[in-house]
Amino acid sequence: MHRRAAINEECVTMNLSTSKTQPVQSLDGVSAQPALGRSDAAASGVQQPSLSLRRLLSVREMGVYYALIFLVLVLSAITAYTGRANYLTINNITNVLYQSSLIAMMAVAMTVILITGNFDLSVASVAALSAAVMVGMADSIGFWPAAFLGVFVAMLVGVLNGAIVQYLGINAFIVTLGTLTAIRGVVQIVTDGRSLTVSNSDALSAMQTFESGRVHIAWALLVVGIALATRGLLVASGSRRAGRGITLPVFTIVAGVCLIAMSLLGGSDLTVQKPVIYMAAFTGVVWFVLTFTTTGRRVYAVGGNPEAARLSGINVKRYKMAAFILCSGVAGVGGVLFGSRLGAINPTAMQGEELAVIASAILGGTSLYGGSGSVIKTLAGTLLLVTLSNGFNILDLGANYQGLIEGTVIIIAAAIYTVGGSRRGGKSH
Amino acid sequence: MQLAEEVPLMRLERIAKTFPNGLVALRGVDLEIARGKVYGLLGANGAGKSTLIKILSGTFQASSGQIIWRGSPLQWSSPREANQMGVATIHQHIPLVPTLSVIENVFLGDSGRWRRDASLHARYSDICARTGYWLAPNRLVSDLSIGQRQMVAIFQALGTGAELIVMDEPTASLATEEREVVYRIVRHLSRVENKAILFVSHFLDEVMALTDSVTILRDGEVVVRADTCDLDETRLAEAIVGRQLIALERSPVTQVSANAPVQLELRNLASPDKLDPVSLKLAAGEVIGIAGLLGSGRSELLHAIFGADPDATGDVLVFGKAVRRSTMAAVRAGIGLVPEDRMGQGLVPAFEIWRNTTLPALERVSSRGMFPRREVERTRGEEAIRRLKIKAPSPDSLVTELSGGNAQKVTIAKWLFSDVKVFLLDEPTSGIDIGAKTDILLLVRELAAAGKSVIIVSSEFEELLAVSQRILVMRDGRCIAERPAHETSEHELILLAGGQSAACTDAPQSTKSV
Repeated sequence: MHRRAAINEECVTMNLSTSKTQPVQSLDGVSAQPALGRSDAAASGVQQPSLSLRRLLSVREMGVYYALIFLVLVLSAITAYTGRANYLTINNITNVLYQSSLIAMMAVAMTVILITGNFDLSVASVAALSAAVMVGMADSIGFWPAAFLGVFVAMLVGVLNGAIVQYLGINAFIVTLGTLTAIRGVVQIVTDGRSLTVSNSDALSAMQTFESGRVHIAWALLVVGIALATRGLLVASGSRRAGRGITLPVFTIVAGVCLIAMSLLGGSDLTVQKPVIYMAAFTGVVWFVLTFTTTGRRVYAVGGNPEAARLSGINVKRYKMAAFILCSGVAGVGGVLFGSRLGAINPTAMQGEELAVIASAILGGTSLYGGSGSVIKTLAGTLLLVTLSNGFNILDLGANYQGLIEGTVIIIAAAIYTVGGSRRGGKSH
Repeated sequence: MQLAEEVPLMRLERIAKTFPNGLVALRGVDLEIARGKVYGLLGANGAGKSTLIKILSGTFQASSGQIIWRGSPLQWSSPREANQMGVATIHQHIPLVPTLSVIENVFLGDSGRWRRDASLHARYSDICARTGYWLAPNRLVSDLSIGQRQMVAIFQALGTGAELIVMDEPTASLATEEREVVYRIVRHLSRVENKAILFVSHFLDEVMALTDSVTILRDGEVVVRADTCDLDETRLAEAIVGRQLIALERSPVTQVSANAPVQLELRNLASPDKLDPVSLKLAAGEVIGIAGLLGSGRSELLHAIFGADPDATGDVLVFGKAVRRSTMAAVRAGIGLVPEDRMGQGLVPAFEIWRNTTLPALERVSSRGMFPRREVERTRGEEAIRRLKIKAPSPDSLVTELSGGNAQKVTIAKWLFSDVKVFLLDEPTSGIDIGAKTDILLLVRELAAAGKSVIIVSSEFEELLAVSQRILVMRDGRCIAERPAHETSEHELILLAGGQSAACTDAPQSTKSV
């Protein structure tokens, strides 16, 4: 079936000469030409690297990065042209990162749950509940116990979601649509429909140390950048010796060099807010687990074909439950951060944010059918959404057009992934 | 009529197909199809049959060459166009809408305006009368058996009024009586209604019995094109495989020594409504064949042994130690299951060959049991390709790009690299060609010789006879007989397994309806 889809797609792009994906596709077409004369596909081992490099650079693999870079370039060009303040300042970039941090964390957890083939609409409600619990309890038991309590309550909701989905066999979309509403109702009950605030000054200062304040990251970036570049070079030389092409290492090297350049250019001005650090650390950990561990492999297998995973001796239910608990737990952490930011919470806080979370994952190319997705791309998806709204603010375009543009971007992204989406999956870079 | 005799209905000229990933499926195939004849299309898995059919049905477009339809060249670019020109295709995996009724499915492509149309009922009755097979038009397709669904697919093809009907392994999943119905319909269509039929099958006997002319593909080329009456099954088999078949049946199965340790023991293993209690001992190096028809409880037995059936009761012991009822525990105890539905249950479609082959024993290819080492895994993939003769360019190929037999080999390869002691093979040879079949049966013998225990389920009892020492016959969720392989025959097994269900008593000889 997949193969048929691939062929259909090829025909489609051949016929639609104005298709957006055409430049990349036509490259594929060119490379297929010499293949006609080849007698054996196995003999093409030499040619594969360039093919796979092309695939890796194709719009459907890298689309979200292209879109992000394109958007940033357009915004900087417009701000420069209209004589506004420079767009690409460290201040503005870190601001975008800060605004993205909560959504991005939840979107990364959402990506995991989507990979396992489930869905969680309730994240924003759960975050609000966790925030309400934290803010409500911080005065009496102190910030940290209250924060842990909030996250614990959130994880309980995850257990509930997962248990209903896995053990009663009800569709995750329906279950979490229910908990989305029900948990929001619980928030209303907990807060009695009013805003809650923290008044204890100890708790408030603990919140501030947890949530606000900036951290110097130049050294950290330098170290990470050098590590990435070194690893990339090592892998590249290794695979060259093995006679295979260099595809992946190129990205690692480029990313490493970018980080090094940023740390050198930014110097001591390079600071970010703490939530950005939390987000980066969490994303890094999840990326590492998904890419390099047996757990990660099994997560993809569970989503790719639950029955095959089960018959390979994988405890599918446990993995799917864990994804629900992770997703709700991270939403809980997001709620704690949100509550700490203001020292207060109102019952409608974060309403509708679940859509931004899911949109980020979709922009990052995560399949709603499970089995494929990448947290790094999800992160880029969040940045794309936040950059869009940030751009609207900076250019004073007003909020009227924002929804229209954001929606259009999401649909275009989904279209590219669907029309071009035959050879994705299982990949996690 | 007269004209039709002179100008063939369809002529294929040098049809070639290369996929974007460089795989060459067809290398210039010529074929001539005339009305009133049945053409057999044969070939091993990956020989290009399915590709050719998809080109005929408009799903793919040929990379080069042309189709000449009633004397004029044309290209159709969609299944719908092909349909309108008069080519109907019955695909191997029957694409029906399970939530619609039979009649709605039959006229699915019809552009009528109303959902309930009296004229449709008239046309439906007409089709039923023509084929002599009656199916209640308002039943939901999801309620039908596989065989009945196949009939719906055939009705669908007839409903379009096609001149050329392409059937892709229409009998692969059917019981014997249902096959007879298909044969009858095929004969009726060609002899009486003067339709052209392209019949794809792996069953050599039915090709011999049914077709007028046979075309055999190998590696994307036509290797044999001849009238059926000039051929025999041996020649067909040789041409398909391209090498002399290893005469598996002739070489005797080695007997297990009496003191071989018992590796697997079942104590009253049962599952409500699916499986009556089974007790069984399986020694090292022993192969047990399970003979039974679809729905006889044979897959249920394997799933119960593997811990994949949560309702199962009774005990499964490996080396005398009870295994907990979960697939995880079963894998840890050294049991491996190759499921019947290879794409649905055996493989993760988004994974490459190597990721699939290492899935059950991921720890063994990981450093510190945590971090999979890709290099080791790819080597495993290469090893699997070499050892099982999988036709794939590299271990990086996605399993969805493989043909049926090769995908099946990957599902078996999954279990070859860990310490599996008991292999449960559920129809490992269904729908695959003779070459791959032989490979798999030889592998079963190899495993037994290496001291593994194997339980193998197959609808083709000759295969069971060729590899097993003992054969259990199952029917209606019960083991009704056990025979040493050298004391029974295919004939007896067919009689035992095919006896009519509930109505008859335990005496299996009481029925002749096979």
